Amino acid sequence: MNFAGFLLTQCLNALSQASILFFIASGLTLIFGIMRIVNFAHGALFMLGAYAGYTAVRVTGSFTAALIFAPIVTGLVGIAFERVFLSRLYARGDGGAYLMVTFGLAVIMGEAIRLIWGAQALGVPTPEALRGAVLLLDQPFPRYRLFLIVIGATAAIAMWQFLERTRAGLLIRAVSQNAEMVHALGTNVEWVRTGVFGLGCAMAAIGGVLAAPLVTAFLGMSASVIIDAFVIVIIGGMGSFLGSIIGSLLVAFVQVFGAYYYPDLAMAIMYLLMLMILVVRPGGLLGKEE
Amino acid sequence: MPLLECTGLTRRFGALVAVDNVTMTVEPGEIRAVIGPNGAGKSTLFNVITGVLKPTDGEALFEGERISGLPVYEVVQRGISRTFQLTHLFPQLSARENVRIAAQAKLKGRWAMTGGAAVFEQSQHLADAALERLRLTRFADTPARNLSHGDQRLLEIAMAVAQGPTLLMLDEPTQGLSIEETEHAIGILQQMLAGGDLTVILVEHDMEVVFKLAHRITVLHRGQVIADGLPGEVKADAQVQSAYLGGFE
Amino acid sequence: MRFAWTFAIAVVLACLVPLVSPNYMMTIIVEALIWGIFAMSLDLLVGYTRLYSFGHVAAYGLGAYTSALLLLHFNLPLPIAIILAVAISSLIAVPIAWVCTRTHGVSFAMLTLAFAQLGYAMLYRFKEFTGGSNGLAGIPRPAGPFGLEVFQGKIGYFYLVVFCLFGSYLLCRLLVNSPFGSVLAGIRENEAKTSALGYNTRAYKRAVVIASYGFGSLAGALYAPFAGFASPELFFWLISGKVLIMVIVGGAGTLIGPIIGGIFFIFLEHQLAEFTDLWPLIFGAIFIAFVMLAPQGIWGLVTSAASERRRSPGDAASESEDVTGASA
Repeated sequence: MNFAGFLLTQCLNALSQASILFFIASGLTLIFGIMRIVNFAHGALFMLGAYAGYTAVRVTGSFTAALIFAPIVTGLVGIAFERVFLSRLYARGDGGAYLMVTFGLAVIMGEAIRLIWGAQALGVPTPEALRGAVLLLDQPFPRYRLFLIVIGATAAIAMWQFLERTRAGLLIRAVSQNAEMVHALGTNVEWVRTGVFGLGCAMAAIGGVLAAPLVTAFLGMSASVIIDAFVIVIIGGMGSFLGSIIGSLLVAFVQVFGAYYYPDLAMAIMYLLMLMILVVRPGGLLGKEE
Repeated sequence: MPLLECTGLTRRFGALVAVDNVTMTVEPGEIRAVIGPNGAGKSTLFNVITGVLKPTDGEALFEGERISGLPVYEVVQRGISRTFQLTHLFPQLSARENVRIAAQAKLKGRWAMTGGAAVFEQSQHLADAALERLRLTRFADTPARNLSHGDQRLLEIAMAVAQGPTLLMLDEPTQGLSIEETEHAIGILQQMLAGGDLTVILVEHDMEVVFKLAHRITVLHRGQVIADGLPGEVKADAQVQSAYLGGFE
Repeated sequence: MRFAWTFAIAVVLACLVPLVSPNYMMTIIVEALIWGIFAMSLDLLVGYTRLYSFGHVAAYGLGAYTSALLLLHFNLPLPIAIILAVAISSLIAVPIAWVCTRTHGVSFAMLTLAFAQLGYAMLYRFKEFTGGSNGLAGIPRPAGPFGLEVFQGKIGYFYLVVFCLFGSYLLCRLLVNSPFGSVLAGIRENEAKTSALGYNTRAYKRAVVIASYGFGSLAGALYAPFAGFASPELFFWLISGKVLIMVIVGGAGTLIGPIIGGIFFIFLEHQLAEFTDLWPLIFGAIFIAFVMLAPQGIWGLVTSAASERRRSPGDAASESEDVTGASA
């Protein structure tokens, strides 16, 4: 295997990984930007997406159906949760309560998923059109991963344009900078919050569906993914959309190359990265939070 | 030996120089007022001296030893206690417990993980004495958050006093107080300071308070010291008058 | 004095339990008491210092695997193995405490979770030691010291756990009612102010994290020999959730609340599990309800009838109540 081929393969691996991470992290950072809370249930929502996707594929045989069904279901669950519980906590200004409630949601979802789908890991078949590999520089590279890169990049650009160019995007950015002002100007800030929360959940779910063919749907996803997402958001800056892209890329490259050179440390690398980041920046928060 | 010596103390935030080459000497037993228009850098100066911020340049010596750059808790242990512009208390705890915890901070037994009856007794004593001094004894059992704003400011001062500091730094102690409360506070401060065993630096906007209490005044403007001397001198100083746009009352 | 009497009565009642309970219940009772210890250990962090930990399972898992390994490889007398397991786990908690207390709020919670996940991952990585996904089975309960065989039976083990529960409760109570404990109250109320008063708050937080992990590991260390095995389940993150629920619903910041919360949770779990699979969801929903509507928890509700405001050890001491159990 020549070095150029190796390098290309690994870079593409990292990009495909970054794509999945982006779906989770962008949602988390958007939610933080607009609500100033870290949605601890984000990993569980990702997991719900994966499991819902599994069911969609089993029932309809179509991966595309999963990509539509899972985010809708998860988005609705998220919106319901936000309306019923989170919106009542705004007045309190109690950081601890948010942590507990979103954690409670994560636990409930974890248990519910265990109940509905069982404790075994569930495999999701790679969609037919995306099976097999293509040859790049004489190295075979899975089509599915190329698909991930494409869909991730598309989504990232689409989101970016949405935030920068559309009125809705402008509203979102405005609310995350100064909610009171926007409210005074007549917009229903609550609906913006609910909408963004639902959007964030849907993004996470898409990430889950995309990840399922690679890693299967399993109960431990929730905890490991939330840590990844949190590290990315810290690196990129809490509330910064572009930061979530940069963070996803950085973390993905560290994970992929780290796993190659130090396979024994594969699992520990994420945690070490996280420890390093949080230790170097004890407050832990950049971006929109002072 | 001067109690506090600041030499060329500077603090930058990027391009903004909040504290600019401040040199200030405070003698034991002195009551020094630090005044200046808003944004002059008074609170930042306090923060640099007490360790909340590190100086970008210069140093501060307390009793001859360098304190600039030390962590906040260390500075307190050396003998400096302060209050803040925004009231900081333990809201759910009683007034007495607020002050007791403050007093306990200077006692060796504060690390005791069992019993500690002696530590409790001692700190209780100091707390009651401080509450007495600030005439807050009747509120001893009231949760701090239930006190009026004025009494809360006084409680904060009680907490600082209970620590038995060598240097007491008060950041706008009368801020947010009504005229009545301010007079009340001045009276109490005057009583406290009559003993002469404390050195005090106080940041104040209220000139009445300043002229009633201070021995010397330091004037800051845009982070720099523009005047430093006896109240009469400072009042007459042209630079000071222009900084305040039209002079004092 | 009132405390001493209540405590003594509780001890006597506890000792009488085996006389009135059928044998099959004893297993559940012992498990419930172990979780009581575990929940109380988390209360030190969550209730007394307001440090929300989402990774407390690490303490439990550490204690369990350490005692399991000590018993399997060295055949030490049971009480010695447990004490050693707690000591080792507390040592391991030192770097964890050091790192985690450099942050606060969400970051702190995430870091504790990260450490727990790290432990979980290491169980699989070092499967020669830990048995990987199969875990460690056949954990013995060796006799001793002095040929004491009483812990090998269920009843004997029950008394061991009761001793540990009451003993650690007393120790925790001493801790939270001490000057150290009053500083924790200050940190809980306003950490910035506590630091500004001259306390090295980071050091205090480190200490309480280590203490919390220490007592948590005691629970785990008691569990492994009781169950006879240790498996990666004991490091799964949902356990951190379970114990957090016990603390909040039981009544954070009261020590007793979480103990009772833990005991009742386990009993309810066993009873409900017979009727429905939905019980974890029910508990999750109850948890959220309490967080939103009654954050002081059950015991908090009960005792707030007795006293108006949140106590700090100094408050209690000034009312000359017998807080330490010893005469002043």
